[in-house]
Amino acid sequence: MRVVFKVVDRLLERVRHDLARPHEFAAERVGFFVCRAASLAPEGVVVLAHDYRPVKDEHYLDDPSVGAMMGPSAIRKALEFALNNKAGMFHVHMHDHAGRPQFSRTDARESAKFVPDFWNVRPEMPHGALVASKNSLWGLCWYPGMSEPIEIGEFVVIGSPMVFVGNGQ
Amino acid sequence: MNERYARQSFLGPRSEEIFKHCRACIIGLGGGGSHLAQQLAHLGIGNFRTFDADHVEDSNLNRLVGATQADVDSKTPKTVIAARLIKGINPNASIVSIPKKWQESAEYLRDSDVIFGCVDSFSERQQIETIARRYLIPYIDIGMDVHALENQFAISGQVILSMPGELCMKCMGFLHEDLLAREAANYGAAGSKPQVIWPNGVLASLAVGIFVQLMTPWQKNHRRVWYLEYDGNSQTVATSNRLAHLAGTVCNHFSSLEDLGDPFWGVDLYGTVPDEFAPQR
Repeated sequence: MRVVFKVVDRLLERVRHDLARPHEFAAERVGFFVCRAASLAPEGVVVLAHDYRPVKDEHYLDDPSVGAMMGPSAIRKALEFALNNKAGMFHVHMHDHAGRPQFSRTDARESAKFVPDFWNVRPEMPHGALVASKNSLWGLCWYPGMSEPIEIGEFVVIGSPMVFVGNGQ
Repeated sequence: MNERYARQSFLGPRSEEIFKHCRACIIGLGGGGSHLAQQLAHLGIGNFRTFDADHVEDSNLNRLVGATQADVDSKTPKTVIAARLIKGINPNASIVSIPKKWQESAEYLRDSDVIFGCVDSFSERQQIETIARRYLIPYIDIGMDVHALENQFAISGQVILSMPGELCMKCMGFLHEDLLAREAANYGAAGSKPQVIWPNGVLASLAVGIFVQLMTPWQKNHRRVWYLEYDGNSQTVATSNRLAHLAGTVCNHFSSLEDLGDPFWGVDLYGTVPDEFAPQR
């Protein structure tokens, strides 16, 4: 199944800028893309990023074993937003390098724990987790009805010029 | 780099690859759209989605690039002519030809990287722009008109880039409620509009220029909003004065979360919706 993630460059720049801000004790920041979705012919989905909701400073847990650990308030706020706005929520954090990023083992383990929880409030929406680098993206999409996440095959950054990641490019 | 594209290599070291993977959608394959199909094929665009419900008629031969008398005789669909034109230049191009109104198969628009609109009516332009914004697709609109003045005719036209997140055609003043209302009131009464080949060629070439700037990093200063006005009598093209007055303006016509994605997404979990709107599993 083909999964495409689209985001306007100004929004992505805002996200990168926010994620690069230092935190009092967390080594990195996290947030959520607020998304809608559309089906693609013959089989696929395009996830359309609309906005970004950063996790508030006070909603991080002080856990030196990971770069950033969200507390229950952060998850609850994101769940509430998804429920009230019929939104797909895509968690995002950033690795401080250029080139195609990848999840660390911790990223993969933690995402698999909390992303499917969004189906408790919005079972019809795709949800997911992304990692951004300075100039690229990578991520997984949890699609309704599928137990395992799907790698996002294409990222399209809408700007001038357009940026395509994946799709053989 | 393929020898074929050596002379456009200044567009960037990855331009050939970008064009090869690009998915360009052309709505309307008449005077403007046929020029676009030809030029995009020459550029090396690898994937096309083309929409036009009509077949070629004798009155099209004054401007439809690629059409022949034999096509008129056999009532060849315009989508077939466009596909033949594209394949004749780039046999490796993948083409999804849809000989229907685009509204009947709008799902094929969704994965386009850019949509070119070459349609006659303002209401249809508004519909295409709305769809393009819904799926975060840049929309390039071209159109020409011939007006009867007192003692002569005046040819005018426009090329507009409507970028997601930027000014839309309403913000630019190109579309407005009075215009749409007048058009709706006169629906069916306009008859055939005058059309000639050379303004279509100029406008299509300008649209391709905007497209290339959108897709490749060949210029340092990339504009995100384009509104070009064509004066066919003086043979000049200029940026619309309206843009100068809109500097710093933010579009609020497509700013809601509701404006994105399938309007019926997920409804099938609770009821039934047409298959084309249902998420696939």
